[in-house]
Amino acid sequence: MNLSLCILLKGVRDMMLNPILEKDLKTKMRGWRTPVLLSIYLLFLGGVLFLFFLANNQIFNYSGYSVFNPRIAVNAYNVIAIFQFSLLMLIVPAITATAISGERERQTLDLMLCSDISTWSIIIGKLIVSIAHIMLLVIASLPIMGTVFLFGGITFGEIILMILFYVITALMVASLGIFISTVFRKNVTAIIATYICLGILALGPVIAFVIWGIFYERQYNGEVTYSMITAFLFPSPGFGFSSFFAGTQSSVLGSALSEIQRLAEKETNILRYFKPWMINGLFNIIFSGILISLSAWKLNPVKKRKRNAKVNSKLEVAEKN
Amino acid sequence: MLKITNLVKRYGKFTAVDNLCLEIGEGQIFGFVGANGAGKTTTMKIVAGLLQPTSGEVLIDGIDISTKPRTVKRKIGYMPDFFGVYDDLKVDEYMDFYAGIYGIPYRERKAITDELLELVDLSHKRDFYVDSLSRGMKQRLCLARSLIHNPRLLILDEPASGLDPRARIEMKGILKELRNMNKTILISSHILSELSEMCTSIGIISQGKMVASGTVEEIMEKLSHTSRIKIKVTDRMEDAVRLLQEQPSIGRIDINGNAIEASFKGDEKVLSEILKRLVMQGIPVVSFTDTGERLESVFMHLTEGSEGYDA
Repeated sequence: MNLSLCILLKGVRDMMLNPILEKDLKTKMRGWRTPVLLSIYLLFLGGVLFLFFLANNQIFNYSGYSVFNPRIAVNAYNVIAIFQFSLLMLIVPAITATAISGERERQTLDLMLCSDISTWSIIIGKLIVSIAHIMLLVIASLPIMGTVFLFGGITFGEIILMILFYVITALMVASLGIFISTVFRKNVTAIIATYICLGILALGPVIAFVIWGIFYERQYNGEVTYSMITAFLFPSPGFGFSSFFAGTQSSVLGSALSEIQRLAEKETNILRYFKPWMINGLFNIIFSGILISLSAWKLNPVKKRKRNAKVNSKLEVAEKN
Repeated sequence: MLKITNLVKRYGKFTAVDNLCLEIGEGQIFGFVGANGAGKTTTMKIVAGLLQPTSGEVLIDGIDISTKPRTVKRKIGYMPDFFGVYDDLKVDEYMDFYAGIYGIPYRERKAITDELLELVDLSHKRDFYVDSLSRGMKQRLCLARSLIHNPRLLILDEPASGLDPRARIEMKGILKELRNMNKTILISSHILSELSEMCTSIGIISQGKMVASGTVEEIMEKLSHTSRIKIKVTDRMEDAVRLLQEQPSIGRIDINGNAIEASFKGDEKVLSEILKRLVMQGIPVVSFTDTGERLESVFMHLTEGSEGYDA
């Protein structure tokens, strides 16, 4: 019984384990870069949280408050969530934009492409490695995120949902990085191009919306609704993130994020069932699918050519003559 | 085994491979000779499925690479002229990775790796990081890698380039071993003599065109009729060159100071005829010699470019 189970499991492992995933995980995890990156990431995140509490406590001390204000916990959660989201946006391109261009620069890509492995497997392998890397950072940061539970206000479910959103966003950014990496030959160019594309994707819709908003306001003196915002901002990761912003905050970013939430609640049509994270998440998944397919197609050196029946028959006729 | 018909590869206006035709039978070792940039690597990359040809057909075992690339790639082992290694992998991990790439099950990998490392004499280095190996060793490791899925056709692009004499001899030994294993091999080099010992047939490529091909004996025969002559004149260099250009037996002409070097095809009778004409034209010839350079140098001139050569 045990033996057959072992054989079965081994078979599944043989089938499922992508060789690129296996190799990259092995070499990445045993090198010094991963632990160093992880340590810096956690130190950064922990440091921000620590500074936040320190700063707030002092302010409250000066004002004469002696009791702990639970709002600080919610604000701390907001700070950490935004901070982690931004950090991921910065780290994912750096990890993924060299996935293919790195192989090309190292002159190992041809060795892979001349084998019978499909370009899909190469891309998926590279993608899963990046996602695994990001998951490691996110999961390792859970204890820091968990500090907000000490004060209440945020539920466990919300955190899990947020992590799910992080992973979906990371998937999109990783696919973008890998796609750009198949386009550009140099690592540096690919990384820069990925940051630029990500910047356009994140801020472009916001800028377009603001410009449209000014025009709309002047012409019709109308009121902006959730559907209008969604129509413009659905590709922006920031729009999806607004779902995870807790309460209100006085900062520009905070008030913008909570305004989206307020409008979403006010929406009367069917769109009110779709929260920003769902809409943006869906976009991310579809966009990732497109980018992955494009990358696999772009990477394939010899595009499959179906023999043209017409040409064949013409050739046959010519041969007969 | 391998049949290439009318293969063309263009990069914009530049034609890298020009209407190339080639056929290699099962178990043959075909030496692909040509200067750098002649189109050897491009042809090999197309055969290995790494480049899309502009036109033409590549058939391996009768299957077109552009219609069934994955089936064809399983039959091919390719070793590029320049390649990189993953510096953070050990030798056996490197082999294991490529075994995985070719979908070889885990349980079979160790035996295959052992056998191939034995073949290329790297068994003692299996726990070393790939990066720490010498160039010759890396080259041998790459050869072992290209054999991991037991391909029937091997494409080896300059496997001996950049190697010291000892490593070259070792590489030759391995290739002989492969020949005994009845592999069909397409091997390239820019040195003719290097290939002549081990190949069954040879093709000489220049500017994307196959200028000569056949068995080693045929090629040698062809080249042995060709030689270089050196003519020194004290004056009227232009007239001498013009006169030489008119001769059908004279090929490419190079001017070196007051000496003219030209490739020549024909026997001594034709040679004396040329000298006679030069003297009769009143050109002050001070020396007229057959340089004795054959094979290598003539071949080099043959492949250098067909501008001055009318073979």
